Amino acid sequence: MRTFRGTRVTGPARTAVPLLAGALLLGACGGGTDGGGSAADGKVSGHITFQTWNLRAQYKDYFEGLIDEFEKAHPGTKVKWIDQPAENYPEKLSADAGGGTLPDVVNVSPDLSYPLAKAGLLMNLDKEPVTAKAKGTYTPEAWKGNRLPGLDGAYAFPWYLNTGPLFYNKALFKKAGLDPEKPPTTYDELFADAGKMAKASGGKVATLAGVPAIEDFGRYGVKLMNADATRFTYNEPRGVQLLTEYKKLFESGGLDSQALNATPESAGRKFLQQRVAMNPGSAHDLANFKENAPDLYKNLGITDAPADTGKPNMYVMGLGINDRSEHKAAAIAFARFVTNQRNQEAFAHQVAVFPSTKGSLDKPYWTEDDGTDEGRVRVAAAKMLDGAVNYTPVVMTEEMKTVLQNEVAKALQGDKSPKQALDDAVAQSNRLLQQG
Amino acid sequence: MSVRTHRAASPWLFLLPGLAVVAAFVLYPFLSTVQHAFTDARTLTPGVWVGLRNFQEMLHDPQFWTALRNSLLYVVVVVPCTVLLPLLVALLVEKPLKGVVFFRAAFYTPVVASVVVVALIWVWMLDDRGLLNSMLEMVGAGPVSFLGDAGLVLLCAMALTVWKGLGYYMIIYLAALAQVPRELHEAAAVDGAGPVRRFVTVTVPAVRSTMVLVGALSSVAAFKVFSEVYLLAGPTGGPAGEDSTLVMLVQRSGTGLSGRVGYASALSLVIFCIALLLMLLVLRADRKEKTE
Amino acid sequence: MLVVLAISIGPFLWQLSTSLKGPAENIYPSPPSFVPHDPTLANYAEVARIIPVWDYALNSLKVAAANVLTNCVGASLAGYALARLRFRGRTAAGLVFVAALLVPLESIIIAQFTTMRDLGLNNTLVAVVLPGSVGALNVLLMRNAFRALPYEVEEAAVVDGANVWQRFRRIALPSVKGTLAVVAIFAFMGAWDDFLWPLIVLSDPDHFTLTVGLNFLHGTFADKPRVVAAGTVIAVAPLIVMFACLQRYFFRGVGEGAVKG
Repeated sequence: MRTFRGTRVTGPARTAVPLLAGALLLGACGGGTDGGGSAADGKVSGHITFQTWNLRAQYKDYFEGLIDEFEKAHPGTKVKWIDQPAENYPEKLSADAGGGTLPDVVNVSPDLSYPLAKAGLLMNLDKEPVTAKAKGTYTPEAWKGNRLPGLDGAYAFPWYLNTGPLFYNKALFKKAGLDPEKPPTTYDELFADAGKMAKASGGKVATLAGVPAIEDFGRYGVKLMNADATRFTYNEPRGVQLLTEYKKLFESGGLDSQALNATPESAGRKFLQQRVAMNPGSAHDLANFKENAPDLYKNLGITDAPADTGKPNMYVMGLGINDRSEHKAAAIAFARFVTNQRNQEAFAHQVAVFPSTKGSLDKPYWTEDDGTDEGRVRVAAAKMLDGAVNYTPVVMTEEMKTVLQNEVAKALQGDKSPKQALDDAVAQSNRLLQQG
Repeated sequence: MSVRTHRAASPWLFLLPGLAVVAAFVLYPFLSTVQHAFTDARTLTPGVWVGLRNFQEMLHDPQFWTALRNSLLYVVVVVPCTVLLPLLVALLVEKPLKGVVFFRAAFYTPVVASVVVVALIWVWMLDDRGLLNSMLEMVGAGPVSFLGDAGLVLLCAMALTVWKGLGYYMIIYLAALAQVPRELHEAAAVDGAGPVRRFVTVTVPAVRSTMVLVGALSSVAAFKVFSEVYLLAGPTGGPAGEDSTLVMLVQRSGTGLSGRVGYASALSLVIFCIALLLMLLVLRADRKEKTE
Repeated sequence: MLVVLAISIGPFLWQLSTSLKGPAENIYPSPPSFVPHDPTLANYAEVARIIPVWDYALNSLKVAAANVLTNCVGASLAGYALARLRFRGRTAAGLVFVAALLVPLESIIIAQFTTMRDLGLNNTLVAVVLPGSVGALNVLLMRNAFRALPYEVEEAAVVDGANVWQRFRRIALPSVKGTLAVVAIFAFMGAWDDFLWPLIVLSDPDHFTLTVGLNFLHGTFADKPRVVAAGTVIAVAPLIVMFACLQRYFFRGVGEGAVKG
């Protein structure tokens, strides 16, 4: 089980990944004042490339169908579809960006579009009249999710969305004397239940396998950054309070002993092995449980992830337009075609993700429980998406996330007070931020 | 050979393919790394010259010192093992005993098995409730948190490296041993030398240069360790980053679309220089021993 | 000894067993079970359905074979010159290879990418092979092997009037077959297992090598560990076969007939 990709690097990297050299970009610019590329409102024609991130294996037919239909509707266009493997996607993007071979339409999450947009490689959709017009067809939250701080605009058409329920193990709840039908819904209840679980099992069964990540701070109601995203602020009292609670949890055995350096993968594995009682996940994890851990699936409970803000976390995926594309009009037309209501809904029927087009989530498929587990999770998740936000700041790099996790670990181990640890994490992250 | 036995150009013709490839595709690209080390370049933004700032930052970063300590510790512990153990294994499987083919393959398998899969198995063995701990429990010892304690994680990663190196260096030794004239061994055996004495007086001198080579190669590899630590300790480098190595720092700071290429290049340059130093040290020690 | 054996082949057997497990079996039991209850080859068929695995394997095979060839030729030539010939600049030439060995490859991959682009070789299998076509490590291995040869064997040939090429081809090279086999294995393995470089340099899925292609098996929305395991087995099997085929070259006793234990 892995968290929705795009927020964390998926899969264990097998080798050290490369350093990428920025200076190359200079050569790719070619002098034009507005970055070159053709007019956005020109004729829809020409050869474009469309790059997705690890979708070919399962959804080949869907995408080939889309492309066929688009090419037929717009004679003179040709779409070449490239799909990239899960691992090292940022490195592949960097190489293409540096080498001037970035595809015309490219699958990005906001953390990926931010550096690309900052380097002037993606089109600002709010600035261009043709694309700004499209804004109204997507939900405001999804459009906002693709807006980038400091860059004054959205840089990708909203595509699919996701949000995560919290899975729990009913058998372990029962064994600890907790009511398996009444899972915790707030952080306070979660901490209380975890304490009971630890006590009842003599410290053998932990409730959670990982330390709090930035989105946990967000859901707990901590203010993560200042308004213009130039400084981190999660060391405010509410943040210290969350970490203090986690520290108690760690000491009582409510957190797994290997939580300090856990990854979403290792945490997911512990849940699959029924070694921890709860784990956050996504709607599409259900199929994984059913297929790979039938024993667990029998005892699986599903609840909303606690969000003291009342706004759940949301992950957004988008399609960016290469600002130097030679066939911008065709690229825009195709990106809009892939993300239009009909095609998004069709895609979301094939896989447990959610469309970002306005009105889609009011359809029966996402509002009426059809009695299956999948249907129940789908309806619950769709409901959560209303008002959901992407808590993870787009300016927060993997390095800054590691800084946070390591400082949290120091606090849990007792090397530092929670306040000191968060102060240090914020100071380090701010320094990294200002260097950029 | 005192007489010149070849034309002056011959050596260079022999060297041409190798030198050309290495110069064009390894050393020349490395120049850009060297250049970046003195800038504040990012992945997608060319940097400006900042002089030694990256190096100063490194010296003031406690993570750097932790990582340097871990990488050096790795060399000190791992290298003696990877020089000796594979040689012993090679001697063991070299004999044409029955079923030995199976053992040869067994030692070689970890070399080809994907390190990700191998790490999964190790995690399963070393886990709080893994194989090793259930065995410890049976003899009444308390559970040991192999993967929760920074020191133990590093130790386990070292064991993993040594174990993966067994097969790899074994075949280098095997090839060297095959070149040792059999008569040497036989003569020693006739002289009544036991296996230990034969090892010391015949085998070791015969494969000495290979041992030096393996020593040099494995010091560089150990110093640049990444995968094993990454997979056992996690991307954070163990609890609170206590298990980070230098290459892990390079990876952490330099990758992704907003990677700090300048800083990571400076780290790479430091790694290159220390590795060079290590290599020269090994070769120097070898030369000294030879002249004595 | 048996313990070492067990943990050595354990991972491989585990993958093999997972790849044979049927859809209803729990593959995350704790502790893991090694014997599939419902053995099936369906996972292998699934690999072939998801990706054109044979095309990818063929690409990998081409790349690996080319890499073996260039490394064996390039490394033995260079190794021979460094070990057996005397000339001005020999130490410097040796140091070039040592330095190349120390360069952290991760830090130069993008510069390599731009070099390839400038050469117009991007997105070709040639570009996949080139940077590693003569590995510094292999050169040093060959140098070491040639140095271990006694000088007398060549001296006789010099007296007979053999030129340097003839001495290399007829005398020196046949004596280092073992190390040549090691170089071949390392070159094959290096090319076969490489992931990052082919990923960066190739953009056309038709040219993908096996390791890049197999990465598609890690689905974005669904993990299929059985299928991934089948892919792993497909990727590892040729390396084991390769080892089995070449191992006789680096064991003593080739052509020596029956020997005592």
